[in-house]
Amino acid sequence: MLIFVISPINFSFALDDDPGKYLNRKAEIWNLFYRMMTVAFVIGSVVSGTLIWLVWRFRESNHKAKKTRYEEQGKW
Amino acid sequence: MTLEIQKPRPIWKIMFSTHHTDVGLLYLITSLAALFMGGTLALAIRLELFLPGSQFVSDSMTFNRMFTVHGTTLIFLFILPFASAVGNYLVPIMVRYKDMAYPKLNAIAYWMIPPAFALIWLGFADFTWNAYAPYSVTRAPGPAADMWIFGLKLLGISSILGAINFIVTILKCKHPDLPLSKMPLLAWSYLTSSLIMLVAMPTFAAALLMLLTDRLGLSGFFNPSMGGDPIAYQHLFWFTFHPEVYVLVIPAIGFMYDIIPRFSRKPIFSHVSGIAAFVLLSIVGFASWAHHMYATGMSFTEKTVFMIGTLSAVPASAMHVFNFLATMWGGRIKFTTPMMWAVGGIALFFSAGAGGVVNSAMPLDFMTHDSYWVVGHFHLFVMGTIAFGSFGFLYYIFPYVTGRLYNEKLGKIHFVMSFIGTVMVFFTQHILGLYGMPRRIYDYPPIPEWIAMNQFITIGAMIIGIGMAIFLINIIYSSGKGKEANMDDPWNVGREKYYYPYQSKTPHH
Amino acid sequence: MNTHSNWPEWIYVGVVVALLIYVGAEAWNIERIIEHIPSDAEIIQVTGQQWFWTFEHEDGTKEIGELHLKKDHAYKFEVVSKDVIHSFNIHDYVVLVDAVPGRVNTVWFSPDESGEFDIQCREYCGLIHYNMRAKLYVDDDKS
Repeated sequence: MLIFVISPINFSFALDDDPGKYLNRKAEIWNLFYRMMTVAFVIGSVVSGTLIWLVWRFRESNHKAKKTRYEEQGKW
Repeated sequence: MTLEIQKPRPIWKIMFSTHHTDVGLLYLITSLAALFMGGTLALAIRLELFLPGSQFVSDSMTFNRMFTVHGTTLIFLFILPFASAVGNYLVPIMVRYKDMAYPKLNAIAYWMIPPAFALIWLGFADFTWNAYAPYSVTRAPGPAADMWIFGLKLLGISSILGAINFIVTILKCKHPDLPLSKMPLLAWSYLTSSLIMLVAMPTFAAALLMLLTDRLGLSGFFNPSMGGDPIAYQHLFWFTFHPEVYVLVIPAIGFMYDIIPRFSRKPIFSHVSGIAAFVLLSIVGFASWAHHMYATGMSFTEKTVFMIGTLSAVPASAMHVFNFLATMWGGRIKFTTPMMWAVGGIALFFSAGAGGVVNSAMPLDFMTHDSYWVVGHFHLFVMGTIAFGSFGFLYYIFPYVTGRLYNEKLGKIHFVMSFIGTVMVFFTQHILGLYGMPRRIYDYPPIPEWIAMNQFITIGAMIIGIGMAIFLINIIYSSGKGKEANMDDPWNVGREKYYYPYQSKTPHH
Repeated sequence: MNTHSNWPEWIYVGVVVALLIYVGAEAWNIERIIEHIPSDAEIIQVTGQQWFWTFEHEDGTKEIGELHLKKDHAYKFEVVSKDVIHSFNIHDYVVLVDAVPGRVNTVWFSPDESGEFDIQCREYCGLIHYNMRAKLYVDDDKS
C-alpha cells in the first residue's frame, strides 16, 4: 500500500530536466480548471435541477399539491 | 385580532430609547441608507467601466476612492448592521426575554455606527477595503486613510459590544423552559456568528492600531523600510476577515431557516444538523484565512494546509443547502416575496460555494487571483446569498416592524429584477476574470471581449438598480400607507400565529 | 419531532467529502508539478515600482516596460518590489506572483508560442495601477 503512495511521488520529484522539453504550465493549469469545471457543472446541474424540480413540484398551485401532514395535525 | 397601529412617536423618543426594537429600527434604517449609498457607488463604478477610457469619473483617484467606500459601506454599514437590526428585533423574543441583556450597551453599540459612517464617507479613502500595507502605510493620502482607520476602529468596537450582548442574551437570559437545543435556528445563527466575531475581531482591531502608528511613523510593523513585514498585515487582516465572511453569511442562512419552513408549511428537516453545521462552520472557519494570500509567495506546505482548511469548511455549508432542499421536499410551498428571495438565495449560495471550491484549488489561483473572477465570486456571496437573505427577511419582518404589509407585486418585481441582474453581473464577471481583467482598475485596454462583457455587466447592474429603486418606493410607501397586515398570519399560510407577536414591540419602560 | 431518518443526509455529506478530497488531491498534485523549477531556467529579475516594471536578464541587460524572451526556453522570475505590493501577471501564460517589498518571490514558465503578450499588475498599488502594464515579446529561437 505504501509503495503505491510513495512511488508516484518519487517518480514525479525525479522529473528529468530535459532541456527544451519543459512542462507546459498554461496547459496543466487550464486542464485542471476544466476538470474542476466538469465536476462543478455536474454537481451544479444536479443541485439546481433538484431545486427547480422542488419549486415546480411542491408549489401550492401544482395540481398534485396536498396538505402536509404537519398542516393537517396543526402543529408546525 | 384587529391590529391597533401604534401612535407615531416623536423621533427623539426612538433615538434615545434603549428598547431592543427601537435600537433595531435604528440599525435597520442605517443599514438601508448604507445600502442605497453604497449601491449608488456601485452603479457609478459600472457606468465608468461601460467603455474603456474615462467616462464621467475624471481621474483614477476618484475611482479608487469610490470602490473603496463602496466595499466598506456595503460590508460594514449595510450587511452587519442589517444582521444586528434583525437580531435586536428578534433574539430577545426568540429566547423569551424582555429585552437585550444590556440595553444601554446595545444603544451605545448602535451609536458608534453613525460617527463611523461619517468618518468613512467624509474621508473617502482610496486603499481598497483591505488597506494592504505598505500602500496604506506609506502612500495612501491622509487624512482620508486615517479617517477610514478610525471609522473601522469604531465599527470594530461596536461589533464586539454587539456580539457580547447577543451572546449574553442568548446564553444567560434565555427562558429556563427553552433548552438550547430547541432554540430557533435563527437564534443559533446569532450565537455562532457572535462567537466568531468575538474571537476574530480583536485581531483586526490590533492590526488597525498598528497601521495607525505605522502611518504616524511611530512604528514600522508593516513598513519594510523600517524592517516590518507587509505580509504580517495580510495575515492579521484575513485572520479577522475570513471568519468575518461567516459572520456575514451565518445570519443570512438563519434568515432562510426561518422563511423556508414557514412557507413550505413544514418544520425544518433537521434542526440538529442545522445547529451542527453552524457550530462546525464557526470552528472550521478559522482554518482557512490564508487562502486569500496564495500569491504572496507562500510555501507549498502553507498553501496545502490552507487549502485543506478551506475545503473542510464546505461540508457544513453543504449541510445547510441539503437542509433547505429537504425542508422544501414534500411541502406545499407558497411563493410569497420572502420565499422567493430565500430560494433565489439558496441557488446563488450554491453557485458561490462551488466557485469557492474551485478558488481554493491552489494552481487555479494563478488564473483567478485579484481578477474579476474573484469579484464575481464574493459578490455572489455578499449580494446573491447574504443580501438576498436579508431582503427576504426584511419583507418577512416588514409586518412586524410596521404593522403593515408591503406591496406583494412590487416585492416580486424587485426579486425578479435583482435575480436576473445578479446572474448577469456576477456570472459574467467570473468569465471576465478568466479573460484576465484585473479588479480595481479604472480603465482597461480596448480588448473586444472585455468591452462586450463589461457592457453586459453594466446593463445587469442597471437592472438591479431599477429593482432597488422599486424596493425603496415600496418600503417607504408601504410603511406609511400600506395595507394593514393581519398580524396573526400576514401571508395566509395557515399557521395560527405570526411567529413574532406584535405586542412584544410595545416598550415596557 | 424528528421522526424521519437521516441517512440521506449522511450519504450526501459523504459524497461532498469525497468530491472535496478529489479536488484537493488534484490541486495538490498539479501545484506540486508546476512548482518544480527546471535547473537550467534562466533567471530574470523583475522589479515592480509605482507604476512600471523593470526586467533584468542574466547577462545584465535591462528592459523597462517590455520583456523579450525566447520560445521554448525556461525562465525563472525573481520578483521584487521597490515600494508597495504589486502583482506580476502574464495572464496568457498563467504566471502570477505578488511583488512584495522586502521579499523575493519566484515563479517560472516556458513560453510555447511566439508573439506579443500583456504583462499587468494585479494588486492594487495606487493612482496608475490600472495602467501598470508591460509587453512580453516571445521570439522564435532560430539562432
